[in-house]
Amino acid sequence: MSFAPVLASLTEAWLFYPMAIVAIGGALGMIVSRNPVHGAMFLVLSFFGIASIYVLLAAELVAALQIIIYAGAIMVLFVFVIMLLNLHEDELEKPRLTLGTVLGGAAALAFWAISFMVFADLPEQGMPTDLPEGFGRVAAVGRLIFNQYLLPFESTSVLLLVAMVGAIIVAKSRI
Amino acid sequence: MGSVPLAHYLALASGLFAVGFAALLVRRNALVIFMGVELMLNAANMTFLAFSRHHQVMGGQAAAFFVIAVAAAEAAVGLAIMIALVRNRNTLNVDEVDTLKY
Amino acid sequence: MEWLSAMNPAEGLQNALHWIVLFPLLGAAINGLLGKRLGRANVHLIACGAVFASFVISAIALYTVSLGGVARITEVWWRWFEIGGVPVEMALAVDRLSAVLMCVVTGVGFLIHIFSTEYMSHDEGYWRYFAYLNLFVAAMSLLVLGANLLVMFVGWEGVGLASYLLIGFWYTDDQKAYAGRKAFVVNRVGDFGFLLGIFTLVGLFGTVDFEQLRVAASGISPEAVLGGGIFSGWTMGGVITLACLLLFVGATGKSAQIPLFVWLPDAMAGPTPVSALIHAATMVTAGVYMIARLSFLYAWSPAAMATVATIGAATAIFAALMAYAQYDIKKVLAYSTVSQLGFMFIGVGVGAWWAAIYHLVTHAFFKACLFLGAGAVMHGMRDETDIRLFGGLRKEMWHTWATFGISTIAITGVLPLSGFFSKDAILHGAHANPNLFFPWVPTVTYVLGLLAALSTSFYMWRMFNLTFHGERRGMLDHHAHDGGNAMVGPLWVLSGLAVGSLVWGLPLSGGARFENFLKPIFRSAEENLARMTALGAQEMGVPVPPAPAHDFAAMLPGYLIALVVALVGFAIAWYLYLGPGKAIPAKIAQCAPALYRAFANKFYVDEFYDLVVVRPLNATARFLWRVVDSFAIDKLVVNGSAVITGWIAQIFRYFQDGNVQRYAVVMAVSAVVILWVFLG
Repeated sequence: MSFAPVLASLTEAWLFYPMAIVAIGGALGMIVSRNPVHGAMFLVLSFFGIASIYVLLAAELVAALQIIIYAGAIMVLFVFVIMLLNLHEDELEKPRLTLGTVLGGAAALAFWAISFMVFADLPEQGMPTDLPEGFGRVAAVGRLIFNQYLLPFESTSVLLLVAMVGAIIVAKSRI
Repeated sequence: MGSVPLAHYLALASGLFAVGFAALLVRRNALVIFMGVELMLNAANMTFLAFSRHHQVMGGQAAAFFVIAVAAAEAAVGLAIMIALVRNRNTLNVDEVDTLKY
Repeated sequence: MEWLSAMNPAEGLQNALHWIVLFPLLGAAINGLLGKRLGRANVHLIACGAVFASFVISAIALYTVSLGGVARITEVWWRWFEIGGVPVEMALAVDRLSAVLMCVVTGVGFLIHIFSTEYMSHDEGYWRYFAYLNLFVAAMSLLVLGANLLVMFVGWEGVGLASYLLIGFWYTDDQKAYAGRKAFVVNRVGDFGFLLGIFTLVGLFGTVDFEQLRVAASGISPEAVLGGGIFSGWTMGGVITLACLLLFVGATGKSAQIPLFVWLPDAMAGPTPVSALIHAATMVTAGVYMIARLSFLYAWSPAAMATVATIGAATAIFAALMAYAQYDIKKVLAYSTVSQLGFMFIGVGVGAWWAAIYHLVTHAFFKACLFLGAGAVMHGMRDETDIRLFGGLRKEMWHTWATFGISTIAITGVLPLSGFFSKDAILHGAHANPNLFFPWVPTVTYVLGLLAALSTSFYMWRMFNLTFHGERRGMLDHHAHDGGNAMVGPLWVLSGLAVGSLVWGLPLSGGARFENFLKPIFRSAEENLARMTALGAQEMGVPVPPAPAHDFAAMLPGYLIALVVALVGFAIAWYLYLGPGKAIPAKIAQCAPALYRAFANKFYVDEFYDLVVVRPLNATARFLWRVVDSFAIDKLVVNGSAVITGWIAQIFRYFQDGNVQRYAVVMAVSAVVILWVFLG
């Protein structure tokens, strides 16, 4: 029996809101940090919060993948590149208030506000708690990607190969 | 307490998306902009998964799976571009990278 | 060709009238386009030949309508257009009035063409000159032969154009070019009135054809109040008065009456034969002809007729006074023309229509002779026009002296030359024709006419004496001589006609021959006039005044008075310029300098017009140029739209500066707006 429904019925709300705050807080910290390394760290924190919420959404495989790939591989790669590029203190960007920044911030905020208009007619009751057996487990996901979504799966592997080759070529100093 | 309504998950997802979007629009460091893009992808993932649970269909989780894979590939190539950018222009400030107007 | 058929010239003419217009038109085209290459002799041949051909056809037409028993010959050249139910055809018509005028135009025109062959023999632009002269004859023919108002208007404008081209013939001289421009512009003002008059008549009667108008006008009642349309509430008589006055405005422009006479003295800038033809014999008489044509309409409007007569009288005396102090030989003749035209307008204004036309014909003869004579004098005196330098030319230019003298006797109205009879017929009509509605008209016109006749005699003899008699005062080393046959011949022919035409005006017991000749033409007018008078008598409760007598006994007192007046003028002129009083003119100028200056400066009419009309127009034009055109349109709209486009482009530059992040901001804002619109 998957423990997700148990969790959901008992303490979902107790877990969701704190984790949501962590996720948002990390994201905001990423935005306001002057030093990109600090920003990367904040982003990792945000990813951990997001992964927890994935677990609450009965997506355990995706949560694990999130931690392993996103927080573990991608962000590490980010930090590598940041250290490699080795920016000095005075080269870091200074905060600046221009029309562009104001408009951009306002647009993002407005987008968030508008999105509320979409959720307005969604039903008020909570998410379903009686999920089918094995919902969100590896087997269920695997069953999908090897049957229905086989083509995207194979294409993704090709995509990864291409990305690898491309990254090597672009980053080489002399071809 | 009961379970959290769908609207709250979506609100969180759109909030994360807004923050990532803001990073894209406001910050001038190319790496920070890229981190904002990654945040946006995560927000999309969360939306997928929220609806997946709401409709009790697994399709959303498969989609999230692929999103993560593609995000990884994209991060690799994008960072390689940043390295090339620094090598050529010696700056990560996107304000100084504006020769595409000619 | 059919028109040679002597059996029935009327039928032949019905298809050949347009040749009267076409011959000179073709002559103008050929001379204008090919003249330079054809050489003098050919150009002369074509030009004179064309006019002579028109004269022949006009003579045949005159014969047909007088002795041939046909009242009117009409030819519809082609259908021009139709507007609002009113059809307009390019139609030509000949009746006795037009035939007489046509013969005068083409006949005198032919003589002037002959004169010009020698007068313009030194000029380089001779081919241009003859082309324009032929063009003028063609346009004048169209004017006279027109069977409806619009064809007449085409001719009207055409003679205005030819006049402009010919006055400014030596266009390299600014003053001469301006004179041509002045003539055209002043004419244009008159033409505006003419057009409005045409429109009024079209609105009232729905036709422009003369015959149809005549028929329609005989069946109206001037008291009738009009119903719908633009003139609702007006009486028929009121609208007719309006139309007649508007048409008269056109006549004042073309025939140089007050207030539009100012162009005629300046028109002397053109070659002298031009002045003879256009500004003496033919074009300026177009106004008189037009009123005579529409006499049946004017008869219904006593107010319009009184206006015509009064303005004619005022112009006659006013212009005559201006001629007192002129010493340019052509200017004296120009003012004389204006004054004589005033006489003709007196004639049509008091209802003596045949007299006005008779004076038109005799005036054409002797005025053309006078102008050609002046041309001969100028030709002999190296183009000098100042009569103060002349003197004693009688000995050196005998032919010119003789013909000039004959014409001067004619113009001053001395027995037994034609001018006497024609002027007197007018003056007799002026004081004898009764006027119920404006009883002061006979007295005023007669007195002013008599004063003008006195002045005419004075200034003409003054000019004659100063030019041909006495001793030479200037250019003492120059010996003048008469022109060749081409110049002297026309002078003699014209003076002969000036003498001979007296035959038509002799006051026989049954009326003068000319009067009876034109009686059928003016019958409608006489009838309408009689009816109007009867209506007026009825309204005012007075008996209908009797028609004045025309026999010799009735006219004798008038004759004697006129003769005395002419002789008095002659005597004064002789005394002041040839006799013992030679010092008096100078003393008069000294004693009353302001008065003398007023006379010499033509009473400052030109200056007045300049102040009141020309300067405001110039200021308006300059305003329109500087403010509206140069600033508002060029700077604000044209340059301004470019500048505004530049500003808008500057705004768009903000979006395309290569900064990708900025593109993202724009996209974000746009996406938010679209979402807001579609979700909200």
